[in-house]
Amino acid sequence: MAVSRIRRTTGLVLIIGSLVLTAACSSGGGTDAGTTGSPTAAEAGTVTLLAHDSFVVSEALTEEFTAATGLTLEVVTAGDAGTMVAGAILAAGSPTADVMFGVDNTLASRALDAGVFEAYKATDAARLRPELAGDTADGRLTPIDFGDVCINIDDRYFADADVAAPTTLDDLTRPEFKDLLVVEDPGTSSPGLAFLLATIARYGDDWTDYWQRLRDNGVSVAGSWTDAYTGQFSAGGSGGTRPLVVSYATSPPAEIVYASDPKPTRPSTSVMTDGCYRQVEYAGVLAGASNPDGARAVVDWLLSEPVQADLPLSMFVFPARADVPLPDVFTRFAATVPAPLQLDAQQVAEGLPDWLAEWGAVMGR
Amino acid sequence: MGGGDGPLNAPRWLGWAWAIPAAFLAAFLVYPVIVLGARVGLGDGWSGLTAASTWQVAGLAAVQALASTILALVVGIPMANVVSRYRYRGRALAQAMVTVPFVLPTVVVALAFRSLLGSGVPQGFALVVVAHAYVNLAVVARIVGAQWAQHDDRYENVARTLGATRWQAFVTVTLPGLRGAIASSAAVVFVFSFTSLGIVLLLGDSTTRTLESQILRQTSVLLDFPGAAATAVIQLVLVTGVLLAGAMAGRRSPRRTMRPVALRPVPAGLSGIVVRVAVATTVIIVIAPVAALLLDSLRAGGAWSTAWWSAMGSVDAGTTRIGSPLGALGMSLGYALVTAVIASIVGGLAAVAVLSRGRARVVALLAIAPLGVSAATLGLGTLLAFGRGPIDLRGTGLLVPIAHALVAVPLVVAVVAPALRATDSRRLAVAASLGARPTRAFVTAYGSVLRVVMLASAALAGAVSLGEFGAASFLARAGNPTVPVQIVRLLSRPGEESYGVAAALAVVLVALTLALVLLVDRFGMSALQRSARTA
Amino acid sequence: MTPRLAADDLVIGHGSTVIAAGISFEVMPREIVAVVGPSGSGKSTLLATLAGVIPALSGRVLVDGADVTQVPIHHRGIGMIFQEPLLFPHLDVTDNVAYGLRRQGMSRAEANERAATLLQWLGLAGYERTSVDQLSGGQAQRVALARALAPRPAVLLLDEPFSALDADLRRRLVIEVSEALRHEGTAAIHVTHDLAEAAAMADRVITVPEAPESGPSALGRPAPPA
Repeated sequence: MAVSRIRRTTGLVLIIGSLVLTAACSSGGGTDAGTTGSPTAAEAGTVTLLAHDSFVVSEALTEEFTAATGLTLEVVTAGDAGTMVAGAILAAGSPTADVMFGVDNTLASRALDAGVFEAYKATDAARLRPELAGDTADGRLTPIDFGDVCINIDDRYFADADVAAPTTLDDLTRPEFKDLLVVEDPGTSSPGLAFLLATIARYGDDWTDYWQRLRDNGVSVAGSWTDAYTGQFSAGGSGGTRPLVVSYATSPPAEIVYASDPKPTRPSTSVMTDGCYRQVEYAGVLAGASNPDGARAVVDWLLSEPVQADLPLSMFVFPARADVPLPDVFTRFAATVPAPLQLDAQQVAEGLPDWLAEWGAVMGR
Repeated sequence: MGGGDGPLNAPRWLGWAWAIPAAFLAAFLVYPVIVLGARVGLGDGWSGLTAASTWQVAGLAAVQALASTILALVVGIPMANVVSRYRYRGRALAQAMVTVPFVLPTVVVALAFRSLLGSGVPQGFALVVVAHAYVNLAVVARIVGAQWAQHDDRYENVARTLGATRWQAFVTVTLPGLRGAIASSAAVVFVFSFTSLGIVLLLGDSTTRTLESQILRQTSVLLDFPGAAATAVIQLVLVTGVLLAGAMAGRRSPRRTMRPVALRPVPAGLSGIVVRVAVATTVIIVIAPVAALLLDSLRAGGAWSTAWWSAMGSVDAGTTRIGSPLGALGMSLGYALVTAVIASIVGGLAAVAVLSRGRARVVALLAIAPLGVSAATLGLGTLLAFGRGPIDLRGTGLLVPIAHALVAVPLVVAVVAPALRATDSRRLAVAASLGARPTRAFVTAYGSVLRVVMLASAALAGAVSLGEFGAASFLARAGNPTVPVQIVRLLSRPGEESYGVAAALAVVLVALTLALVLLVDRFGMSALQRSARTA
Repeated sequence: MTPRLAADDLVIGHGSTVIAAGISFEVMPREIVAVVGPSGSGKSTLLATLAGVIPALSGRVLVDGADVTQVPIHHRGIGMIFQEPLLFPHLDVTDNVAYGLRRQGMSRAEANERAATLLQWLGLAGYERTSVDQLSGGQAQRVALARALAPRPAVLLLDEPFSALDADLRRRLVIEVSEALRHEGTAAIHVTHDLAEAAAMADRVITVPEAPESGPSALGRPAPPA
């Protein structure tokens, strides 16, 4: 009895041990980044890109990068954009990566003040869209993509109800749209924050009055984009009841791309192009990077034509380059916002704590 | 009352059992926090310590956590009874199922509740409390159940022959006997609810804010690091206080003769019906939200479909490749196994150290400290300490299981320590008096109990790892997402397919957890039965 | 005279498994009856059935002439002592002894007084507030005896109460327990596999009849090693 017990215990330990080894080997041999998993091999030919957890790029492009530069690209994530920037600020001067992608125009000034970035001008910088060409924080940041946060509309709901959908921010406070809007909490959600900034950009010091009117009109506040869009939006697929949601100008083409076959010919949602807030995402070489040359190569790569052309369908953003053709589904269904709202980065950095507190007071959250 | 006294003739190595958990915690808990603290400082963050709003949030969170704990105990204790004491077909499955809510990523729990209750149920206090109780049922059922399974019900028979009604016997004999386990689990549930983040963000409103959500806002929205540090200090102090109180209540719990008891047959008559109804209720409570997800995964375009399930091999709509969902399963499983091994060794030794004296107790208390350290704090600290030279562990793939183990170690201690404490140390004396050498005697006395609770806690640790999202998205390389990370990525893009595949993947995660827990329970149960036979 | 306790054509067992059938006997007031038989003969199952811990498969149990077969355990007035003392570990010595009295609704002061009297009588004066952890095996079994006697049960069932103790202590306790039972005037059934012990304590010895087919051990648990 005792012997068999020992044997079985030993057996269990061996099974677990071998599984662990297998797991370790398979994780080390992942094909995605092509690394060997050995930290010492990382020194010579590896460059590390720090990105937020929504960063996606087609695999073939990272392979092209390696083929062109001889460098292995290792992508590490550090939570959402805010958490990633927080980590980068804390590690300023002795960074955890060589280059960072995904810092946006609401977070940029804090990172710049902390000395996170080192100046670099991408080789294709001249190809940037005119409105982005000067948006480089004295050469320390390179715009890579942009997108607009807008109210999305469930077209079927308004067709069925035979009501015209709202077209302006002011419309949202009107009685015929009572209890129809869901927004995200600006303290916990990036599109939620962008929408708050849009209202501040539009209404100036009177923005709290606008929110008071939204509240009186039954606005629902969700904790995250997922809860708002997937949970509460009536076109989000899981039985939500609100036909208006704060989302992106590119959500309608995404609906088509991520729909099941046979794909619908047109999306069931559309975009209200008034009151949109523009988000620009930048890349920058991290000060103190152990592979600064590699870091610069990554910035060039991010602004290269193939990667820029890949961005729309990878992350549902618009490329920062002017000379890159958009995919068909984008030209047809993504909204082009004529006059997006934007606030100065420095103003955002200084005003944000008070704005969030005031918003919380108005909304009772 | 010799609750925590060491056995006199313990083997000498027992005196050093604290060294490994102490080293682990010093390296991966204390050091990162110090690195972060040195970088941030508190500066004028001290004003946060006195800010009324911070204490208001702490008060709200305490009320919410108390309500969540009470609900989890009220539902979880009867569950512990029926899933760990009686013998019936499917008992192992029922026991494993209770563990499932605990490992579901919070975003999935939130979606499941929405899917189950519809969007008519308002967000806020009640929804958050119910969700917390649901998630933490496993903590109560597992910790209390582990002790209850070994509880000798002849105590109740004695009480009954002395004139106690069934209810009186339960209140005056059974509950005090389980006091250590109940206190341990209550403290853990309270702390989980008090420091909750995901559920509070997704299902809460202004009345359910926690210090953890405050810290996250201060860190990643306001970039107010000194303020976040002050809030984190407050949270650490409060949580440590609660855990100390729980540990003390556990320590005052007396020893009793514990025998590895075989499972009881379901009694005949009325009490048998009660047991069956309780089992059915348990299964329904646990399964309802999961069933809602399963239905969602099988509906496409308003009709039944297996499209989402067949899409799991590769989701590559457009040019987007977020990695094969099935590939993520392998990643998650690997992390879960490494976590289970690390957490059971570290947590088990910390619990064994409780049996020893002096400074070892400090380690045992330190081992539960990760529960109080804010996740954002620990994440950033780990990144600064081990995410860059000279010690860059990120490439090794070990940071994620280490972070998971930090979360799991307190659970392991909470499972193992009460069971060891409840084991009569006189067994050790008997074995020693029969001439066994100290190590042999120790194994004789505690071996069977240790084996059972260690396997149970390894399952719990693996389960924690399977469902964890924060560390996996924060400390991992981008190309190797875990299942929860994959689910969250899918949910963060629009489209019916994204939601359908996410629901299917969540169902797979549930099945995977069930399989893992069943497997480990099986090893645990056979060890238990063997020791019952050899006793 | 009405017997204190009577078994009338009792069939004992678990579920559909019959362990012994046709059991009939009587225990008169103040009488101590020993039940002997080898391990596995169903002695413990018999006691559990009499006490109401498990239901009788058929037949009747009578206390003072009244049929208690359907009466729940705590209303039968039948006390029980097991091989292990099974003292409530979260209560001290006095609270253990007073447990049954408190369930009868006796005030704390009164219950403690009776507990003190019993403890003194059993040579445990001075241990009133001792934790039960600190007692030796013999002391613990004496406390268990005091606890069982305190509510003055009609009958006390003793299930091999001395088998875990060493021989010397066992001899002493056999005498002490008989004296205690006679002092309190409590009728008792003493189950043992030790004929000498049975003879030393009991007025009368009976055996459990063989089962139709010998079934498994009592109480659904592995039998304790002899």
